[in-house]
Amino acid sequence: MTAHAAVAAPSAPAARSTRARSTGLLLAVAALVATCVLSMTLGSRPVPLETVWQALVDFDPRSASQEVVRELRVPRTCLGLLVGAALGLSGTLLQGVTRNPLADPGIMGISAGAAAFVVFGVMVLGAQELVAYIWLGFLGAALATVLVYGVASLGREGATPVKLALVGAAVTAALSSITTAIVLIDVDALDELRAWQVGTLGGRFAPVVWQVLPFIAVGSVAALACGRALNGLALGEDVARALGLRVRLSRTVIFASVAVLAGAATAACGPIAFLGLAVPHIARMICGPDYRWILGYSLVLGPVVLLLADVAGRLVLPSGELQVGVVLGVLGAPTFIALVRYRNLAEL
Amino acid sequence: MSTFRPAVLGIALLVCCVVAGCGSSSSSAPSSGASAGDGQWSYVSGDGKTYTAPETPKRIVAHAYAAAALMEFGIKPVGVYADGPVKDDVGLKGVDFSGVEILGETWGEIDVEQAATLRPDLIVGDWWSGEKAYSGLESGVKERSKKIADLAQVVGPSVGDSAVELVEGYEELARTLGGDTSAGGSRAEFERAVERFEAAVAGQEGLTALAISPFGQDYAVAVPKHAPELLDFQRWGLDVMVPRRPDPEFPYWQTLSFEQVDTYQADLLLFDDRNYPGNLKVLEKAPTADRIKAFAAGAYTTWPAYWLHRYSDYADELNRLAEVIEGADPGVA
Repeated sequence: MTAHAAVAAPSAPAARSTRARSTGLLLAVAALVATCVLSMTLGSRPVPLETVWQALVDFDPRSASQEVVRELRVPRTCLGLLVGAALGLSGTLLQGVTRNPLADPGIMGISAGAAAFVVFGVMVLGAQELVAYIWLGFLGAALATVLVYGVASLGREGATPVKLALVGAAVTAALSSITTAIVLIDVDALDELRAWQVGTLGGRFAPVVWQVLPFIAVGSVAALACGRALNGLALGEDVARALGLRVRLSRTVIFASVAVLAGAATAACGPIAFLGLAVPHIARMICGPDYRWILGYSLVLGPVVLLLADVAGRLVLPSGELQVGVVLGVLGAPTFIALVRYRNLAEL
Repeated sequence: MSTFRPAVLGIALLVCCVVAGCGSSSSSAPSSGASAGDGQWSYVSGDGKTYTAPETPKRIVAHAYAAAALMEFGIKPVGVYADGPVKDDVGLKGVDFSGVEILGETWGEIDVEQAATLRPDLIVGDWWSGEKAYSGLESGVKERSKKIADLAQVVGPSVGDSAVELVEGYEELARTLGGDTSAGGSRAEFERAVERFEAAVAGQEGLTALAISPFGQDYAVAVPKHAPELLDFQRWGLDVMVPRRPDPEFPYWQTLSFEQVDTYQADLLLFDDRNYPGNLKVLEKAPTADRIKAFAAGAYTTWPAYWLHRYSDYADELNRLAEVIEGADPGVA
């Protein structure tokens, strides 16, 4: 606890100098740019670098390869940027506000809520369009977050980390069982759910990017503004309150941001595991425990990890592609274990 | 069915697996059994073995497609199990299952207890030579469902390299079971349809076709070698394109991404009809879809994918395809 206190106090000497952290962040941004270039140039269809460049600056609609870059890879990369940032940030927010190093959108009922609503939409409303799934998923994620936070807020102390974790687990279990009950009755719903539940950046085109952009933009700004509040909450509620932090209000804002970010990301791509869990830890390893920096790093590192996994998924198969959700699931676990072994995870 | 490239191929392929099983090349065994005299029943089944019974089986439980095939010849099973909801199945259009017990409408799940109450004396399903199993007993089917094989002996013609052979196999089985095959079911109608199909193809020299199934983020191209009806079409003169690199783990398809949709260009696209028009919508949304020349030209239709079991269905499909082919343009690709 003393270490946190030292960092959170505004005038305390930082564990790492601001300059080192800024340099690190710049390097991370450079890595992000490089990743975007990879995402534009590598794919199941071999496209020469020159053609990629032409597609961006001097588009020739007659060229199939240029169309692939412009109509498929650019939206896909943009979606990767948005969703990666959203999941990285929401993971950081959740880990900070719940002080639980294993928190991610998956355990707060968000993925389960989105899935339940997608299935409900398919079965009861007959939804078939991806666009409809996005709204349904978003609604489900938002309602699940409100439910978790609302129930956890009952009682005198408000939404404490322990209550949040317990309610999150309970709501996840409840929603998952509803989803299972529906798909066991309705085979069509099961097929639709399976298609959505893999988690992928492929098969979503420009309209989806525009649909989630405003939500993720607003959510990201709100998230980045939460750094001080998270630093305060990391000290424990009493100290935070003594420092003048409005605990209840901060928590509400943070949860609202999480609902918007994770809800939009999950709705657009299906549940993507591991990212929201691992990115904050990677960020913390680089920049130390100050949440203002962790949020900045997560914003950049989330898309780096997601896009790298997506590019890998495009290349591993002889033809066709592997969904990014599968890549992250397969590569994520061992990588995460290696990280934990390499350096003890920060206790929150 | 659980071991094909997990989660990679998408449901389209899983569904195909469900319907197509994993049977492949070896041609159907000569199902030349006969109901010999003395009421003794015998039948040479798809697995090459001869099955006998003291008298002709009367209470049959069958896979839904097998049931539909037998019912063309007046053999009505007492119970059926299907791969999906019976009312939605493209291969069961117009089949009247009233009075027939439905024992399952999900692939791999058969209510064996209910089946036992029907006291069946024969179980009928396609023989998948690749999997060495009858429909309903393939790998991936729940163990408790496979107990269906304990109720009676299981027989059925083999899924070979021609859908016609499979249809004929059911005609033969129906004959041993006392069905009325004198009229040959809709055989005459079917043969006329084949002639019409052949004539239509002959009139369109150089016409090429490509069988596809777009799903999720994939654009899957069917490999004719593993699709009996596509092999038939080739035999009757239609140039169904053969993808060069079938997926290693599941050679029924070559899976392409939307970046690669222009890999094969044909004059006519054939959509998998089991999830049409859903798969059409998937392709429509892909920004690169118009790079498929036939799609851009609106030259597409459906093909009866892996489900043909009856002369009547085959005749309908061939007549429909003949009409499309007559109106097709061999200069699209």
